[in-house]
Amino acid sequence: MELNIPEIIAILLVAAVFTFGGIRIGLRFVLRRLAGLIFVMLGVSFITFILGYITPGSAVDLLCSKCTAAKYAALHHFYGLDLPWYQQYWNFLTNLLHFNLGLSFEIRGLKVTDILASGIPISAEIGVLAVILQVLIGVPVGIYAAVRAGKVSDTVLMTVSLMIFALPTFVIIPFYQLLMVALSQHNLPFLPVSGWGDPIDFVAPVGILAMVGMGFYARLTRTTMLEVLGQDYVRTARAKGLTERVVVYRHAFRNSLVPLVTAIGPAMAFIVGGAFFTETLFNIPGIGFMAVSAIQTKDMPVVQGTVIIVAAAVAIMNLIVDVVYGILDPRIKVA
Amino acid sequence: MDTTDKPGVNIHNEIEVRPEELEFVPQAPGTVDAEELEGSKSVSPLQAAIRRFWRDKRAVFFLAVVLVILVGSYLFPLIYVHLGPTIQGGITGTQAVPPTQYHDPYQIDLLRSDIPGTLFPLGSQSLVHPLGTDAIGRDIFARLMAGVNISIEVALMVEVFDIGLGILLGALAGWFGGWFGMVLDRFTDIVFEFPGLLLILLIGAAVGPIFDNIFKGQSNIFGRMLMLALAIGLLSWPLMMRYVRGTTLEMKERQFIEAAHTVGTSTYNILTKHIVPNLMSIVVVASTLNILATIIGEAGISLLGAGLKPPAASLGLMIADATSKIYTSATELIWPCVVLVILVISFSFVGDGVNDAFNPRKKD
Repeated sequence: MELNIPEIIAILLVAAVFTFGGIRIGLRFVLRRLAGLIFVMLGVSFITFILGYITPGSAVDLLCSKCTAAKYAALHHFYGLDLPWYQQYWNFLTNLLHFNLGLSFEIRGLKVTDILASGIPISAEIGVLAVILQVLIGVPVGIYAAVRAGKVSDTVLMTVSLMIFALPTFVIIPFYQLLMVALSQHNLPFLPVSGWGDPIDFVAPVGILAMVGMGFYARLTRTTMLEVLGQDYVRTARAKGLTERVVVYRHAFRNSLVPLVTAIGPAMAFIVGGAFFTETLFNIPGIGFMAVSAIQTKDMPVVQGTVIIVAAAVAIMNLIVDVVYGILDPRIKVA
Repeated sequence: MDTTDKPGVNIHNEIEVRPEELEFVPQAPGTVDAEELEGSKSVSPLQAAIRRFWRDKRAVFFLAVVLVILVGSYLFPLIYVHLGPTIQGGITGTQAVPPTQYHDPYQIDLLRSDIPGTLFPLGSQSLVHPLGTDAIGRDIFARLMAGVNISIEVALMVEVFDIGLGILLGALAGWFGGWFGMVLDRFTDIVFEFPGLLLILLIGAAVGPIFDNIFKGQSNIFGRMLMLALAIGLLSWPLMMRYVRGTTLEMKERQFIEAAHTVGTSTYNILTKHIVPNLMSIVVVASTLNILATIIGEAGISLLGAGLKPPAASLGLMIADATSKIYTSATELIWPCVVLVILVISFSFVGDGVNDAFNPRKKD
């Protein structure tokens, strides 16, 4: 089987995670997680396959608007669409293992992997930047609120950030776009409303995603900090006469890092999944946008490919987070 | 009976009672101290929770907002179709069109498309199209109300599915345990690993056309609503099942269940009469949050084109249609967004209030 660079990297990454995790945490951990991963991937691939299977219309229908019955049947046979479902599933699985996600229905000869490969870097860029900003803004806000717990500034900060968090992005983005349109019509400086190409196009999507997500980290940091600040060793540190700043940053914050790291893992799922609404409303050609347009044109292989890739990425991300968690806090037995 | 083999303990030294320490107050059997009775009026957990909710002014206020919007969206259209003057319009442009037609959310009138809101200046024409019309001439206010209806109906259908399946499987898994619970747990893991939105999009694309044809008689709106409700419900019930299973496991160890067992209550009766009523707190909290998520989810999925299709009036669809017209008719975009924002914020605060009412926590 032919492999190329991305597949090699993926395999090495997964192998590294398992080896590292195995050495640090134990063989049982590795085996259990491996079994879990396989189970999940089987389930995901099966569900995805079944949904594709029962979709009315197929590749042949699109290719074959005016075919004779014989040609139709021949094409069916060629694509293997007349095999029983379990055999089709087996082919689907083996193709998956060879990193072959099939061909797009819509554009002749375009491999699904190519489509995804063009979209993933863009989504990843936005996602990583957004998460970094969310953490950089959210964590200090959380610390600030925890230190002033119960006072007005705490309530205001938390309420505002959680309200923005609760609002869906597809509501915030139209408001932003309306604002920009209004600004541009009054000859005031404004940011782009859609499109992708210049660095300035980054500002709005990443900014909005950062604003929306930071409430999560703010609340999490605040809760863990409050828990930690109530502990005895913090009281001791204060009694020792250490300044408040040292107490908060050196002692309290370090110990609240662990839940924070665990929470980042699942939150990063959207890096890989692409932020659908942001990409669709801003016309950014990321993987989310590709999936959505594939849905609208009924291009099932692309949709299936996206689902599988995203599920796999989420599973691997969770795995990495568990390993990191086990390392950060040796008391935890991640079995 | 403690038989410690510690050196130095002599069984003869166990009890050392000094007579003046004894304060023996004889009590007739069966009597109860007066102090014990005070303040012990028994109140069910549900009533206690309702009382706590009532004290949270913010939650009560937003509950009122939610109720006004919900009830209004069903009742107000009945009046609305009679409000307003008869106007010139119709296909030929000269027919007399009564409000029953132009205030109908599904009535298309291409001659009156993209009209800005007529509410101001206040006058005889202000009730014609108070918030304007959309791209094919449908009154926006009427569509907003129809959109809220659809959101609520889909959310309720999802909750029925979610609560029904969640309680049933959760209680069974928690009570009987064993491999049944483990299998469901694994299944829950799979569902969590899935990118939920993508899965619903996939389901929408795959089986959407099937649902479109089910209710061929009337419009296909209900078919799509059902599909959306089933798809969203499919993703939500594992979480509910987990909550229910956890609570059931916790309750299984409690003494009142043990007592019921001892008395000989059948398993069915224990489950239905003792466990399920006590699940109410977690079910109510989880459902409120789930309704919020469903409203957002339905709007989002319809926005992406995989949920409800035209001519349905979904808030997400309205946003999607209006996005292209942002330079010309900005108001078409604002109103569905505003309604969504109000619904989301109100449900959030109500959900917080419900959570605090059922799980009171100490002040942080």
